[in-house]
Amino acid sequence: MDDVVLWIVVATALAFDFTNGFHDTANAVATSISTRAMPPRVAVGIAAVLNFVGAFLSLQVAATIAKGIVQAELITPSIVFAGLIGAIAWNLATWFFGLPASSSHALIGGVIGSAFVAAGPKAVLGGGIVEKVIVPALIAPVLALVVAGLAILLAYRIVGRLAPGPVTRGFRLGQIVSGSLFSLSHGTNDAQKTMGIIFLALVANGNLAKTDDVPTWVVLSAATAIALGTYVGGWRIIRTMGTRIIKMDPAQGFAAQGAGAAVILSASHAGFPLSTTHVISGAIMGAGAAKRISAVRWGLAGNIAVAWVLTLPAAAAVGGLTYAVVALIGSKEAGPLVVSALLLIALTFTFGRRLLAGRPLTAEG
Amino acid sequence: MVWESLLAGVAVTVLFSLVIVGWARGAEARRDGHGAAATAYAGLAVLALAVFAAAVVLAVTVMLNKS
Repeated sequence: MDDVVLWIVVATALAFDFTNGFHDTANAVATSISTRAMPPRVAVGIAAVLNFVGAFLSLQVAATIAKGIVQAELITPSIVFAGLIGAIAWNLATWFFGLPASSSHALIGGVIGSAFVAAGPKAVLGGGIVEKVIVPALIAPVLALVVAGLAILLAYRIVGRLAPGPVTRGFRLGQIVSGSLFSLSHGTNDAQKTMGIIFLALVANGNLAKTDDVPTWVVLSAATAIALGTYVGGWRIIRTMGTRIIKMDPAQGFAAQGAGAAVILSASHAGFPLSTTHVISGAIMGAGAAKRISAVRWGLAGNIAVAWVLTLPAAAAVGGLTYAVVALIGSKEAGPLVVSALLLIALTFTFGRRLLAGRPLTAEG
Repeated sequence: MVWESLLAGVAVTVLFSLVIVGWARGAEARRDGHGAAATAYAGLAVLALAVFAAAVVLAVTVMLNKS
């Protein structure tokens, strides 16, 4: 691999890591902010620090991208680059509409699309998509909804006769713990994907051997990117998850986060990783529906479900299109270089105008 | 996996609810001069908090050891 392509892949992976952070901030902080367990900036600050710490804690770095979903031996740096662009595009689009969607599924979708265009249908393993994407996407929100629903019903039964003051204060304190667990878990999980991508790029370029440890600068840069993204905060999604799906009280916020964290970690322990976004969204709906079915804005829940269904094909379409453009321009450094430059110009134009107008980059409105 | 998740998710919320009940009822009983009840509720709060803390430690361990 050419050094130019290597550094473009590294930069794109870090850009994806950043969008992953700000897209998923809501998973950990939305309920804490909406129930006033923590002030918004403190909540995203703690989430950012724990994402950073989490990136250093996990013992396993994801060694392959979309393992078991695409033929690993067919993956090239250009395919990875195009896949990352697909994932970034979908993260930005869903953020713009304030819809929580899985960054992992977006990355998988992007790589599937680019691999499909590059190498044809044989590059994609259909069984892997069903097993690692579709089944978990169906199980995660339903399971979280049921668990959080049961949990809040029992919680209301236990604390129902107490004065509201201690209950509110107590569950707000609990939310600090459950929110922190979410953030730490996110850091141990999602930053690893970026480290895996960069590690593979370095191996493919001959800078490292497969058996080498992940270099410190890779861990540090991935941790920094996800933490910065988390701190910037995807406020549109935070607003959706914190106040638009249901109006939640601290008990519901704790039940959603506590049940969500328990579901994610139990599933992870059983070797069946679930999307944090799908779990916490389902848990919030469960905590609301158990109190009153009509408390949940089902229209919005439907929009979120549509975004989940579209994640894989939409990211795949952008990934495939990007790969086609890259291949058209040139298979070596010219393609990724031109596409990166065009995208940077487009992003600068879009967000630069917003900044010049004095509007915060990720704040609502 | 489903049953583990169900049990863990419900248990975490129930445990923390018991911490709040123990704490709040204990404070009430102490104010009203019911020493034995205050001690019993405080015991409930401490026990539930200890199990909750153990669950948090277990959660962090699972995070650190996932493959």
